[in-house]
Amino acid sequence: MAAATALRANPDRNFRYWLLTPAIFLLLLVGLFPLFYSLAVSFMRIDMMDTDTSFAGLYNYGNLFKDKRLWEALGHTLLITVIALPIELLLGLAMAYLFLEKMPGRQIFVSLLVLPTIISPIVAGATWRLLFDNRFGPINQILGWFAGHPVTALWTINPRLVYPAIIFCEIWQWTPFMFLILLAALSNVDRSQTEAAAIDGAGFSRTFLRIVLPAIWPVMAIAILIRGLDLVRIFDIIWALTSGGPGTMTETISVYTYAQGFKQFETSYTAAIAFLVIVILTVVVTWAIRRMGLAK
Amino acid sequence: MSDLKITGLHKYYGSFHAVKGIDLEVPSGEFTVLVGPSGCGKSTLLRTIAGLEEASEGTIEIGNKDVTWARPRDRDIAMVFQNYALYPYMNVFENIAFGLRARKFATAEINKRVNNAADMLGIGPLLQRLPRELSGGQRQRVAIGRAIVRDARLFLFDEPLSNLDAQLRDDMRVEIKRLHQELGRTMIYVTHDQIEAMTLADRIVLLRDGIIEQLGSPLDLFERPASHFVAGFLGSPKMNFLPATLSGNTAKLSDGKKLVLGGKRDGKTGQTVILGIRPQHISLSGKSVAIGHARVAVTVELVQPTGSRVHVTFPLGGKSLVAELESRDVSKPGEKISIDIDMTRAIVIDPHSEKVI
Amino acid sequence: MSPLPFHRRKTVRLTLRYILACLLVIIFVFPVYWLFSISFKTPDEIFAFPPVWYPKSIQFSNYMVLFKDGDAKTVLNSLILATASTFIAMILGTIAAYSLVRFKTGGENLAVWIISQRMMPPVAIVFPVFLLYVFFGWVDTFFGLILLYTAFNLPYVIWMMRGYIEDIPLELEESALVDGCSRWAVLWKVVMPMARSGLFATAVFTFVFAWNEFLFALVLTRTEVATYTVQVTHYFGGQSNFWAKIAAMSVLGTIPVFFAVATMQRYLVRGISMGAVKG
Repeated sequence: MAAATALRANPDRNFRYWLLTPAIFLLLLVGLFPLFYSLAVSFMRIDMMDTDTSFAGLYNYGNLFKDKRLWEALGHTLLITVIALPIELLLGLAMAYLFLEKMPGRQIFVSLLVLPTIISPIVAGATWRLLFDNRFGPINQILGWFAGHPVTALWTINPRLVYPAIIFCEIWQWTPFMFLILLAALSNVDRSQTEAAAIDGAGFSRTFLRIVLPAIWPVMAIAILIRGLDLVRIFDIIWALTSGGPGTMTETISVYTYAQGFKQFETSYTAAIAFLVIVILTVVVTWAIRRMGLAK
Repeated sequence: MSDLKITGLHKYYGSFHAVKGIDLEVPSGEFTVLVGPSGCGKSTLLRTIAGLEEASEGTIEIGNKDVTWARPRDRDIAMVFQNYALYPYMNVFENIAFGLRARKFATAEINKRVNNAADMLGIGPLLQRLPRELSGGQRQRVAIGRAIVRDARLFLFDEPLSNLDAQLRDDMRVEIKRLHQELGRTMIYVTHDQIEAMTLADRIVLLRDGIIEQLGSPLDLFERPASHFVAGFLGSPKMNFLPATLSGNTAKLSDGKKLVLGGKRDGKTGQTVILGIRPQHISLSGKSVAIGHARVAVTVELVQPTGSRVHVTFPLGGKSLVAELESRDVSKPGEKISIDIDMTRAIVIDPHSEKVI
Repeated sequence: MSPLPFHRRKTVRLTLRYILACLLVIIFVFPVYWLFSISFKTPDEIFAFPPVWYPKSIQFSNYMVLFKDGDAKTVLNSLILATASTFIAMILGTIAAYSLVRFKTGGENLAVWIISQRMMPPVAIVFPVFLLYVFFGWVDTFFGLILLYTAFNLPYVIWMMRGYIEDIPLELEESALVDGCSRWAVLWKVVMPMARSGLFATAVFTFVFAWNEFLFALVLTRTEVATYTVQVTHYFGGQSNFWAKIAAMSVLGTIPVFFAVATMQRYLVRGISMGAVKG
């Protein structure tokens, strides 16, 4: 005799959805809402002067292609990325090798080297602004010692020096990030494999390419992905160091979008840019995440 | 009265059909062992009884109450897991008390029950320790203790001894058997180890590919297996299988030797069959041949002493046969011996249906 | 020339490694040192030519000014925003991660979508969000920024906690279910305690992200809830006469992060590599 109150379905079947609901709601707020909002507004003609909400078709998107400043900003972003990323990677790798073998005090060295990575990028930019000062900053002073005469380089103003300054700051802050991750990855490489290679007579480069690199690649790929995306979105350091100047020389895509939205108040046009950026990055990111095996 | 009744139970994982229609009724107080090779669905069946897996079809009743869709906690069950499932951040006392606390028992009652269980299992001095400070056997006792304090209607064991070393496993087996006798509770025990099944069970449910292959007392299954699979699964050393041809009441082996079958079998003359003979049913020839025994002369190939007994391998009917003999009967390889096979207990299998005939 | 004996070679190698290590530490730590040193310098020392390498005496007047002017309140704002958003993101993110791991809700696609939200360019999000916030009157409110920080940190929390929860043996949860716990009770009594070191580590990193954030704060705050990162940029001017304030404010904003990360040494790599390296 079965009890009359027998259930017909799993009483906990909706539990899993209750758990996810608040998080998904918030993610839609920062994920899907901006996407659709930008899409909608980008078909209108809203700016500081005019709140014309009529349909403007692809007017704003047409302007994207004519916007020289936008394409320059994209170029600046790419320039910084392709220079800074490999340097951070190689320097980080070299540093990881330096600290791979145990040595007394290693933990202290590593802890000190991590400092730049954990401070706010705005603070990092501000710090380098002080360091780079042409008169009272120590950089020119130190360079003067080597040059044998006073150096008065205008790091954040001189068009020839402003990129080196930005990239230097960027490398200073994020090489430790690469270093830490690669040090951990290298430490996890099976020692018996490298030792067997050494016994077989393989040199350093051969061992590295054939054994070490394949072993650390999954981790390295994720480090490159994280840093690459951060670089493409670079804003804080530029803002603190040069604010995109001189002129628009160091304007990255983020700085330019910000300027369009919050200085020029080109609402619809900014929405078009934002939509473009979201779409491009979503596609690239989703592809990269799958490709690089971040999704287990 | 039955404590557990399963009707027409199916379980699918996507397109994989793990449990294919099981009907089972477990009487109150019985120790039932679900046994079978890995992938036979025994663990899935147990987990479905526990409510950790949803039944795809069919019903489960525990204590005459339909619990097919009830939460695990509403099923009046207690379970011992393979890897002990002890909470590493709680000491032994809290681990055992966990279920009682979850059910809001009074502190005095909790203390009483935990101490009782600890005494019963001989882990009284360990109550303040953390799980990581315990040996494997001690952890297993704590896991069992956590189940017995619950005083549930149904106790489920999911391969609880498989992580222990051989010696400990023997000890714990005795312990579990003793607990069952003391508590008199209905217990369902999953294992892939046929020795555990034979020694512990009041009744064995032998599963294969999601269906019940045979169900009965250990001796039933051992002496009267229903199929080739059951015959081969139970018993150690394994049952010997010989191809043969029936001719009346005689089985003719491929090397021409004839063995007279004891008792009446259903096979037709000329039918090819498989003859199953347990190593325990072979003995060294005495002065006279006992009724129903067949006497054969063989040449010893291999001798494996196990202490009290000795496993002797010899060729017969185109196969290597194993016989379990008394230690004092030890022979040397190459020696010619005469053996008696108890043909009344031999089984005859139809090679097509794989059923015993 | 015969090669050096083995132990001599080892000593030379080790010495070289130490020299290089020290050089690296000097290069990477010097800017931080410079920031700290300026914060303790007098105006004369800050604007000295050639530069003064260390302050003659440690004096706190640069910090006193920040507290007197009320600028130090921005550090408190940062603290409130980072703490509140971390707390909420940890709770919502952990239960969401639990659903992803235990019930495979949404499958791999949902998990990838969630982490891809982490990679969203803030500048593309902040503009529509700004317009939304203007509409609702949430600009320059704690609520608005906490909401955004929570949402922005959720993918990280979910992703990290997913890894930590996967490490918890399923049996522990099942045992609790059988022993009488509801699904929620399993979450609070088994999953949370089992994942507590992961929870703590993830919370620290989430806190640091929110603490260090700049762009959202720049756009969505005015005066009431301005964070220290925004305040630092307010001192940038035509003439660089706010150096002392920049340095002192930066130090105020940096010290908590140093402490936070120092407690998390063991989980540092797992935290910053988004779980790619399990420590």
